[in-house]
Amino acid sequence: MHIIDRYAYTNAIRELDPAQKGGLALIAIILCLALDQPAVGVLTLGWMFALAVLWARVPALVFGRALLAEAPFLLLSLLGVALSVSLAPLAAPAVQLGPLWLGSSAESLAMATRLFTRALGCAAALNFLILTTPLLDLIELLRRLRVPETLIDLMSLTYRAIFVLLESLQRMTTAQATRLGYSGPWRAMRSAGLLGSQLFLDAYRRSQRLQMSLESRGLSGPLRVLPLDYRRDRRARWIGAALAASLLLVGAWR
Amino acid sequence: MTALLELEQLHYRFPGSAEAALRGASLCLEAGQRVALVGRNGAGKSTLMLHANGLLRPSAGQVRVAGEPLVYTRRGLLAVRRQVGLVFQNPDDQLFSASVVQDISFGPMNLGLDIAEVRRRVVEAAALCEVRDLLDRPTHALSGGQKLRVALAGVLAMTPRVILADEVTAGLDPWMRRQVLVIFDRLVAQGVTVLLATHDLSAARRWADQVAVMEAGQVVAVAPSDAIFGDAALRRLIGADE
Ligand SMILES: Nc1ncnc2c1ncn2[C@@H]1O[C@H](COP(=O)(O)OP(=O)(O)OP(=O)(O)O)[C@@H](O)[C@H]1O
Ligand SMILES: [Mg+2]
Repeated sequence: MHIIDRYAYTNAIRELDPAQKGGLALIAIILCLALDQPAVGVLTLGWMFALAVLWARVPALVFGRALLAEAPFLLLSLLGVALSVSLAPLAAPAVQLGPLWLGSSAESLAMATRLFTRALGCAAALNFLILTTPLLDLIELLRRLRVPETLIDLMSLTYRAIFVLLESLQRMTTAQATRLGYSGPWRAMRSAGLLGSQLFLDAYRRSQRLQMSLESRGLSGPLRVLPLDYRRDRRARWIGAALAASLLLVGAWR
Repeated sequence: MTALLELEQLHYRFPGSAEAALRGASLCLEAGQRVALVGRNGAGKSTLMLHANGLLRPSAGQVRVAGEPLVYTRRGLLAVRRQVGLVFQNPDDQLFSASVVQDISFGPMNLGLDIAEVRRRVVEAAALCEVRDLLDRPTHALSGGQKLRVALAGVLAMTPRVILADEVTAGLDPWMRRQVLVIFDRLVAQGVTVLLATHDLSAARRWADQVAVMEAGQVVAVAPSDAIFGDAALRRLIGADE
């Protein structure tokens, strides 16, 4: 959370209009899904990596780590597609494990590869977006897209509350730890339980004080604030065109 | 000359609480005053401030702003909040937006000003509180002192004539505390009145023109700070000799 947030706020294209960054990610995702070919998925990954690292100046390692964190989930779900399990004997290539047969086929392997590369391309596109665009800007983008105000308010309050809660969480765990609250598994469990209820009360009281302070600044209905200013980069259009063209070309070539 | 803000004989009891929090508290503020509000924990300082801003409604007594009694309707409350700004002790209770600019713009937007005017006010308030270079930063990346000044800017952007500051200097280092008092002094020079609730008696003595002492839901004394701190009984009451 913290590391993604940090790059989202400090990358080289932070000021760029979120609509442009979102647009690029959207093009990549749509084409990746529509063309549904391993080469397209891999190319999308390459594009997004290049945009994040060369354009937005997010360290390659950070981009890689974000992707790596998502990979296990992906691989796990692929196992189900690539492998088939059966009680009856399966044609080769297959292995027998007690009463079970574990097998695979060329088709299911191809299917798994397609799924994997497709998901990888989409994940890379989303990573590009969240590593270069703070949630704040994404919410602002949704606001411009006329998502209902109540939803927008909820999202922005929640986003802010996460950090406030994280801070109280840190304070409370330190306070418990200094009183040996985490020495031994039994005590640690008790302390964690106490922490949870404390945190809940804390959030509740805070919401009441927040309500008061908002009212004292004239709250009336939706939270009205200034729209944020962004820079629009004409290059983004060319990048978008090149991205779409190259993906379509690779997709058509097969 | 009518006073800017008058609190007259306010009574209030929190729902479900046996003791009254305010029992006939009165206070009168003129334009351009520096007033410190002191008193022990639970004396009623915060409760008094919530009344001055219309957040709580007294069971008896009256709040008047520039001679006009406070009307507890949407319009009436907005009119008061335009004139009387409230800064809370913990800036995390006040800063609701992850964007510093957007947070500061909230008050002026609610006043129904146009975008250009809101922008102008945000920049002006930010400059006054020395947070102009923080405008593009996310709220959660700020230090406590920076958050407080952003919260203050959010109130100042509504250009109130009275600022009520509830223990805002409590969590600050001495240098930052000085900075905040300097900001208050700038406001006072423009004719704004600042009421600062505080437990920092030496700051109250040095900074304030007037000191108001609260005890058990009443304002028991209002006088120039030398008179307050020269009075043995009052000194004992506020614990100035501890
Ligand atoms: N939300 C509440 N619910 C019930 N009682 C409250 C509430 N807030 C304050 N009180 C009570 O009202 C009285 C006055 O409290 P208040 O917070 O105004 O005091 P204070 O002078 O601001 O104290 P401190 O210096 O500790 O901030 C206290 O007896 C307190 O217990
Ligand atoms: Mg208080």
